[in-house]
Amino acid sequence: MTMTSLNFSARVSVFDANVRVGDLRDEPSPCRDRHQLLAEMDRHAVERALIYHAQAESISVIDGNCYLEDWLGDEGRLFPQWLVMPTADSLAQIQALHRQGRVNAVRLYDASLAGLPFRPWVYDGLLSWLSEARIPLWILLPDANIDDIVSTLRAYPNVVSVLVGAHYSHALWVRPVLHALPSAYLELSRYEPIGELEALRDEFGAERLVYGSWYWRYAMGPMLFYLHHTSLHENELALICAGNLERILQGDGNRD
Amino acid sequence: MIDGIKVIDFHGHVGRQDSIGMNDDPALMLHAMDQAGIDLACLFQIFHPDGTTGNDLAARFIAQHPDRFVAFAYISPTMPERMVPELTRAIDELNFVAIKLYPPFTPWEFNQPPWHPIYEFADERNLTIIFHTDHLRQNRPRFLADMAPRHPQANFVAGHSGNVPEARAEAIAAAQAHPNVYLETCSTFRTPGVIEQLVNEAGADRVLFGSDIPLMDPRSQLGKIITADISDEAKRLVLGGNAQRLLRL
Repeated sequence: MTMTSLNFSARVSVFDANVRVGDLRDEPSPCRDRHQLLAEMDRHAVERALIYHAQAESISVIDGNCYLEDWLGDEGRLFPQWLVMPTADSLAQIQALHRQGRVNAVRLYDASLAGLPFRPWVYDGLLSWLSEARIPLWILLPDANIDDIVSTLRAYPNVVSVLVGAHYSHALWVRPVLHALPSAYLELSRYEPIGELEALRDEFGAERLVYGSWYWRYAMGPMLFYLHHTSLHENELALICAGNLERILQGDGNRD
Repeated sequence: MIDGIKVIDFHGHVGRQDSIGMNDDPALMLHAMDQAGIDLACLFQIFHPDGTTGNDLAARFIAQHPDRFVAFAYISPTMPERMVPELTRAIDELNFVAIKLYPPFTPWEFNQPPWHPIYEFADERNLTIIFHTDHLRQNRPRFLADMAPRHPQANFVAGHSGNVPEARAEAIAAAQAHPNVYLETCSTFRTPGVIEQLVNEAGADRVLFGSDIPLMDPRSQLGKIITADISDEAKRLVLGGNAQRLLRL
């Protein structure tokens, strides 16, 4: 039995792959600024985080990406994740940032909310560029059309994807998706079916799993606590908590 | 055990639900409990409205590991003639320690008359009842404030503490108003600050750790308590102290 105490702090280096900053229009963030976010990270011994802005997810990718600048700082703990959508102005913004050497990961705006399907006839320009530039793509699973995601990403096998927000209601999807998409990683922020972390490790390897908290949609500590109370070996824990994300952000996420 | 505290998970299930990955394999459940230091899980089988079928399944399940599992009795007002006889059997013969009610599987709000014989039974026996609560019509935690003062010898537990902000506020208000109302913590919504809110507004002596095992892995749900910004003394009460008192374990 693992020794558990009333207080928890991560024992391996942690690089959180999924942190939202800033306010939603109808819900303020519990962190008013980057200093409060860093304090929350310190409380759980989280060293680094990949952050995106709430307004980019919910209102405007262009404006939200601009708001993200205020959160980044220069101490090397907060790294930008830019939102992108299949429009000329969004792609131009990301390509301009890329020319400055500032794009290591992008997150797909959920255009299906506006009725735009995730299909090659819509996304070819974006996905072809990401493939060529070796930029990994974070994709939301909640409310997704999983058939569109799988069939479209299979047409772009060099695009590395991180599938975000799988839930117990997706329990029937996860294994077939990971088998169908060898360049996909599973982000773990809300994947809680019993024993599944260890079972996915056994079936796919720790190399396919990425820790994210999805703070501030969710509390920062609980999934990190869970990861630290499993039968994972220390090297597997280190990969999930930081190593895999580091490799993905360096453009080395494609395992083929 | 965690720091000398017997950790009791107040919310768990017996039965499989394959579409959402719920698997009541005792080996899986015990592995997760052992990894995190959870000593005892409270389980119920809610898939059979007659009560008897599910309670027998729960009894057989916990008999495999009587030191790690206890059972709560389940009955449904959709079969009203069976409620009190089955409760009597489950408590007196099967040695179940509390009652679980699931209003979403009925057409009635849980303050309505079809439920009342259950509350009278619990009041007579000093038993605890845990309800599924959320924001939907039958399940509103505000109904606890109707029933708790009328049955002062029973204890009423808001499972999930209402789950979402509006219903959570109702659950907290009911706990503030009535000493026999408690709040249970399991939820797929792990919103920042919720555990702190429950403890600070209702009191640490009124909050119970639950996980929804095996629908959800208890380790992430336990992590909500351990990583919350509350005192160690509050954690001890939430993790086991309050449950030991309510269940007289």
